[in-house]
Formats: sequence, structure tokens, C-alpha cells
Amino acid sequence: MKISKEARDVLLKVAKEKRIYVEGNFLKLLEADEGDSEFQKYLDKCKEKDVTTRRKRLEITKKVQEQNKELESAAKENIRVNKQLEKALAEANTSLNDAKTAKKIAESAKSDMESALEETRLAKEEADILRIKAEQAKEIAETDLSILQKKTQTELMGNIVKVALWVIMGVGVITTGLYVFVLLYGHDSKIIESTWSNLFGILLTNSFSIIGTIMGVKHATATQNDKK
Amino acid sequence: MIDTLMLIDDENLFHLVFEDACSLLDMALSIEALDSSDEADRLFKKWFPNDPDHERPECVFVDLNIIGSSFDGIEMIRKVNYEYGNGVVIGIISSSEDEEEIEKAKKVGAQFWIIKSDDIEPRLEEFKEDYDGYKNRTAPFKVYR
Repeated sequence: MKISKEARDVLLKVAKEKRIYVEGNFLKLLEADEGDSEFQKYLDKCKEKDVTTRRKRLEITKKVQEQNKELESAAKENIRVNKQLEKALAEANTSLNDAKTAKKIAESAKSDMESALEETRLAKEEADILRIKAEQAKEIAETDLSILQKKTQTELMGNIVKVALWVIMGVGVITTGLYVFVLLYGHDSKIIESTWSNLFGILLTNSFSIIGTIMGVKHATATQNDKK
Repeated sequence: MIDTLMLIDDENLFHLVFEDACSLLDMALSIEALDSSDEADRLFKKWFPNDPDHERPECVFVDLNIIGSSFDGIEMIRKVNYEYGNGVVIGIISSSEDEEEIEKAKKVGAQFWIIKSDDIEPRLEEFKEDYDGYKNRTAPFKVYR
């Protein structure tokens, strides 16, 4: 596109005085008249300036674009890390909840165990009480048995003593009766006399021996009971 | 040189890179950058059928995934080609190299696929050289890696 002389002069004047040159795609349309080397030089300079400016801007824009990409990449990485952190946090929370649940279960188990221990202790106490009662019952039974045995022994001894006394008294009475009969009817009393005397002595001796033995046994039994 | 070029990309910073790169390469006289396929769709609806030749751009670059838009770049190309007159050179500019997506784009009428990267100028320069073929519909589909 060719422009008028006035416009050309204005452009050259502005360039000379203000150092302002035409820029942009409009410049691509401008053409100088043939032989107008001054305007051609002006257009070349304008193009050179425009290319320099564009190139600078392009480099800067590319750098900014690159930085933007890096920032976007960093932002993506941040998001990824944040997601990982959130996931880790969620897992930690889950673990915490699991731990809390496990703690509750453990506490419950502990409580159950303490309850069981208490029940065991009570059962043991009851068992001890029962054992003591059983031992007491056993002692009572043993005592009763002992008493029964003693009673039986005493009764037996009583019977023996009675029988023995009856035997002694019977022998004494019979011997004495025979001796009296012999004396009254005048029979020979020498044999019966000595026999009666001996027999009486033996009977007395045996009687005292029996009584002494019984008393000794009673005394020994009483001493053993006292020791127990 | 392309007369009017449209870029549809949700990344505003890439608009600046694209505009400067195109300017340095003397690729286009006028560039209109949009950040939404919905806005582009609205404009194409307005241009077609009442004014199919004057306001619509000569060439359209569409990003594959346009965040914040109702549909992606492939659907945008399908709409332009099948609903709005198929009068422009159109293709994808994306950092994706997914062959499946490339095939989809090809099927809906995309003419090129430019891989977006930090060093976009060499690919745009190559595209500029091939542009006449796209305009004449003689160049085959091409991926600029």
C-alpha cells in the first residue's frame, strides 16, 4: 500500500523528532515509491525495530509460558502431594479409629477379665468357706465318731467291768458259800480255806488291776484330747 | 502471506507467542485469537450463510482440548467443514501427538496437525511453505512434528 506525500512526511517527521516508528502488521502493508530511498530506509528501520521488539516479546512470552508450565506442574505436584497427605491422614484417622476400637475391645476384655477374676475370687472364697465348712463337718464327724468310739469303748469297758465284777463276785460268793458250807457241816476245811484265801486275794488283786487299767486308759484319753 | 488467520486456544499466553511468531515469519497480516470454541462457533454461525466470504478468516488453527468450552477442536473442525460451508483452511494446533485423535481430526476434514511446543517457529515456517497447497486443496493431510 502506498501512502500520500503528506502522510509520508508526517511519519518521517515523527520518527526524526520523537523517535516513534510504525509497528505491527500495518507496517507490512506500507510500500515506498520507486526511488524514494529515504522512506524505504524508514520502512526498513521500522521493520527492523518491529522484528526486534517482536522477537524480544516472543522470548519473554516463551519464558513466561515456560514458567507457567513449571508453575502448573508444581501445582499439579502440590495437588498430588496434598492428595497423598489427605490419603495418609485418612489412613492415620482410620488407624486411630481402629486403635480406639481395639482399645475399647481391650478395655472391655480387661473389664471382663477383672469381672472374671472377681468371680473367681468370690468362687474361691465360697470354695474356701465350703472347704472350711467341710473341714468343720469332717471334724464334727470325726469328733462324733471318736465320741461314738469312746462311748462304745466305755460301754464295752463297762460291760467288761460288769462281767468281770460279776465273775469276781460270783467266784467270791461261790467260794465263800462253799467255805461256809464246809464250816457249818464240819467237813475238812483246810483245802477250801486256803483256796478261798488265795482266790479272794487273787480276785481282789485282779479287781484292782482292772480298775487301775481302766482309770489309766481314761486318763490317757483325756490327756490326748487336751493336747488336740 | 495469509490474509486473515484465526487461532482458537484456551491458553492466552500462547496467543501472544503465536501472534509474534506469525509476525516474525510474515505469515499473516491479521490474526484473531479466541479462547473458546463456543465464541468461534457463534462467529461462524453469524458469517454463514449471509456473509460467507468476507469476514470469515482464511485459515483457522484450533487447539485440541479447549478448556472451558462446550466442545473440543475436532468437533469445531467438523462444524466448520460440515455446517458452516467448508471455506477455510483448518487444522489442529496441539501439544498432543495422540494418533487416535489425529485420525479423528483427519476424518472430520482437518488439513494439518501442528505439534505445539516451545519452538513453534520452524513448524509454522514449514506450514507457511505448504500453505498454498492447503488453500488449493491439493496438499495432503500432514502432521508437523
